Amino acid sequence: MSKTLIVAELQNGAPREAALELITQARGLGGELVSLVIGSGVAEAAEDLAKRGGGRVLAADDAALADYTSGAYAQAIRRALDQESPDLLLLSNTPIGWDLAGKLAAALDAGVATDVVRIEQEGDDLVFIKRMFNAKLDSRLRVTGSPRIATVQPGACEAYAGSDAGSVESLDVSGCGSRTVFKELRTAAAGGHDLTKADLIISGGRGLQKPENFDSVLKPLVEALGAQMGASRPVVDSGWLPHEYQVGSSGQVVAPKLYMAVGISGAIQHLVGMKNSNFIIAINKDADAPIFEVADLGVVADLFEIVPALTEAVSAAKGG
Amino acid sequence: MKILVCLKQVPHKDARLDIAGHGTWIDDANLKFEINDYDNYALEAALRIKDAGEAEVIVATIGPDRVVQSLRTALGMGADRAVHVKDEALEGSDSLGVAKSLAAIAAQESPDLILTGLMSDDANYGLTGPMLAELSGLPHATGIVSCEHAGESITVERELEGGALEVVELPLPALVTVQTGMNEVRYASLKGIMQAKKKPLETKSVADLGLQASDVAPKVTIEKIYMPPKGEGAEILQGSAAEVSQQLVTKIKELGLL
Ligand SMILES: Cc1cc2nc3c(=O)[nH]c(=O)nc-3n(C[C@H](O)[C@H](O)[C@H](O)COP(=O)(O)OP(=O)(O)OC[C@H]3O[C@@H](n4cnc5c(N)ncnc54)[C@H](O)[C@@H]3O)c2cc1C
Ligand SMILES: Nc1ncnc2c1ncn2[C@@H]1O[C@H](COP(=O)(O)O)[C@@H](O)[C@H]1O
Repeated sequence: MSKTLIVAELQNGAPREAALELITQARGLGGELVSLVIGSGVAEAAEDLAKRGGGRVLAADDAALADYTSGAYAQAIRRALDQESPDLLLLSNTPIGWDLAGKLAAALDAGVATDVVRIEQEGDDLVFIKRMFNAKLDSRLRVTGSPRIATVQPGACEAYAGSDAGSVESLDVSGCGSRTVFKELRTAAAGGHDLTKADLIISGGRGLQKPENFDSVLKPLVEALGAQMGASRPVVDSGWLPHEYQVGSSGQVVAPKLYMAVGISGAIQHLVGMKNSNFIIAINKDADAPIFEVADLGVVADLFEIVPALTEAVSAAKGG
Repeated sequence: MKILVCLKQVPHKDARLDIAGHGTWIDDANLKFEINDYDNYALEAALRIKDAGEAEVIVATIGPDRVVQSLRTALGMGADRAVHVKDEALEGSDSLGVAKSLAAIAAQESPDLILTGLMSDDANYGLTGPMLAELSGLPHATGIVSCEHAGESITVERELEGGALEVVELPLPALVTVQTGMNEVRYASLKGIMQAKKKPLETKSVADLGLQASDVAPKVTIEKIYMPPKGEGAEILQGSAAEVSQQLVTKIKELGLL
């Protein structure tokens, strides 16, 4: 690949992990690397990125870019594209990345692949590997147009750890504006159900089928083990449990001594919230469920048989 | 106020997924289909705006004959009319081809607000909404979990990571893509289903939209779809429920948790 432009997202004024992962992806393809940092007062972050292997770093620094807006950020990226004419544009698959990827692709009439886990070079062409059907299947995508655009799943590769120092240039982004108006950021409300400190979490998913089953099937096991109850997103979306029970990218990120996933398929957004647990047990009737890829122990069976039997065995073990 | 909701029909969440002979998509011959979950929440959001005042809700979908069923369901829930785009030219189409077709509908209808789902549960692209916004010259916000409509603008909460939210105001006309859990989705009542039969449902071809097959030719093609390679994976316990439970208890003890 001759030239890749990455959009490096910042967090608390520094390049976020996902940005360093984009460097890994881009460097894996070879060729020239240009990084774009967008915001207000980003000089330090741009220097930091240059030191951490970001290649030539363009700093798009303007008061109008202080808060994220799709309009202004898309314009800033288009200025960089006009100046650099890269063959590939990489963003992270984050709320910013998925807000911009489709918009840019439509504006440029370019091909785009989202939530990519791997990019392979085949001769002059690139193939993008992406999960589909909530991680149950993988796909190989062929993308045409220039530039090709892709968003890369955070955590899909290691953050770049080299120290090949690059340089920083400023990019003229005066006049970038947006019709969407940023109002405020609301941080996650501190709930009364903090899972981050729990030693043992038993989470139920859509496989539990109805809210009553959380009380009648899952809760007895949770109580017998003195565990905390967690849940996947559909459980919370359906109002079966409050949001503070949700584990995953848009819920809590946990790492207990033992995490038990019951009737949870293992979509990536759930996995990022629990895959660093010390030990993982999964109960699912589908032997191909992706949760078994991250679990240490698995039971392929009907949870409505296993969970009551396990509850009984735990009670017996405690009694004896 | 005129609201356009884009719906995609996708395989049922509990459907068994088998890969088709050509290897580029799943075998959908005997599958059960349903409205994409995210789109149910989008439709519900539109119907709530309608319930709160004056609004016409139009649902649009692109797909083969079977998708009419989903449009009927949406009409049964309370949408006023439906547009179905069906064309051979769209069969191998990608997100941009779909978005261009939807943009042509939007150009004909001039809605004040367009709603789509954040992503489709089958392909998981998350592209169509922002593409449609760009092609229609509209401001947009993705992954919203609330929407308040006041006069010439809407104020939405966008979901970020870890439960954080971003509040954004968009002048109308605008497009938003909806995240699951935004509201409580209604069911189509029996009365609604009866009424739906009389509601207008138009079928259009690519040519009816003023487009040519070349306009919707894909820039992205799925070369292959396959079961993810298995890694080491979990050790799978064998035996009866009681035997498996004993093994789990042993493990939980080993971990010092019992
Ligand atoms: C931006 C974004 C953020 C998201 N954030 C999160 C998040 O924070 N947390 C999260 O969890 N998800 C999140 N999701 C949703 C995620 O993509 C999945 O949709 C979700 O994790 C699926 O939940 P599930 O596994 O409970 O349901 P499903 O995927 O429907 O899985 C249900 C499982 O139950 C099994 N099952 C059914 N019946 C039985 C039975 N009787 N016995 C045993 N097993 C059974 C099935 O085999 C299946 O594997 C997010 C998605 C997006 C796009
Ligand atoms: N064929 C289609 N017909 C109508 N709407 C669609 C279609 N495909 C995608 N959409 C809309 O775009 C959203 C995102 O889909 P995708 O970009 O495929 O992930 C869906 O939730 C729908 O609202």
